Amino acid sequence: MPSFLGASRSRQETRPPEDASGLADLVVKDLDGNDVRLGSLWEDGPAVLVWLRHYG
Amino acid sequence: MQLHRDRSKFEDAGVRLAVIGQGTPAHAAHFRDSQKVDLPMYVDKGRESYRAAGTKVATVSELLGPRMIARGAAASRRDGVVQGRTVGHPAQLGGVMIVRPGDEIVYVHLADDASDNPTNDEVLKAAREASKG
Repeated sequence: MPSFLGASRSRQETRPPEDASGLADLVVKDLDGNDVRLGSLWEDGPAVLVWLRHYG
Repeated sequence: MQLHRDRSKFEDAGVRLAVIGQGTPAHAAHFRDSQKVDLPMYVDKGRESYRAAGTKVATVSELLGPRMIARGAAASRRDGVVQGRTVGHPAQLGGVMIVRPGDEIVYVHLADDASDNPTNDEVLKAAREASKG
């Protein structure tokens, strides 16, 4: 039976990686639908990445 | 966090901003336009980057506990923003990370519950440090 709101049944821990190598090759889309390799965002300088919980 | 309100401060600090959400480009565009959020936005429908960043999926109490409700109400009053339609996984939590060239993570704050967000000042301070090298 699915949980309410898809919530986890047990408490999870956050698990930040030691470095961003595991993120660099992942591909997201910009608002025009173009593929963007995440690592391209910090190739030339530091980047602040914000993962939203929801829109709003 | 209301990152867009301090966009110029982050840009002056020499960092690039990237906001990643769930859903589709159309969902993100609607959010950008309806909330007047002028930030570079991206979408990750499959949440692969959420998992790789180490974010977590909340329990019901981490989503809807008294502290989360109180903080959410306070944030709505402060920022004049009401939570929009939930898109994607409703229990997925978010986070903030600053990455430098070479895949070096110099700051990370991953939400422990739905009300757990760093302040703009905290992230801005880390961004300025990241730019100094």
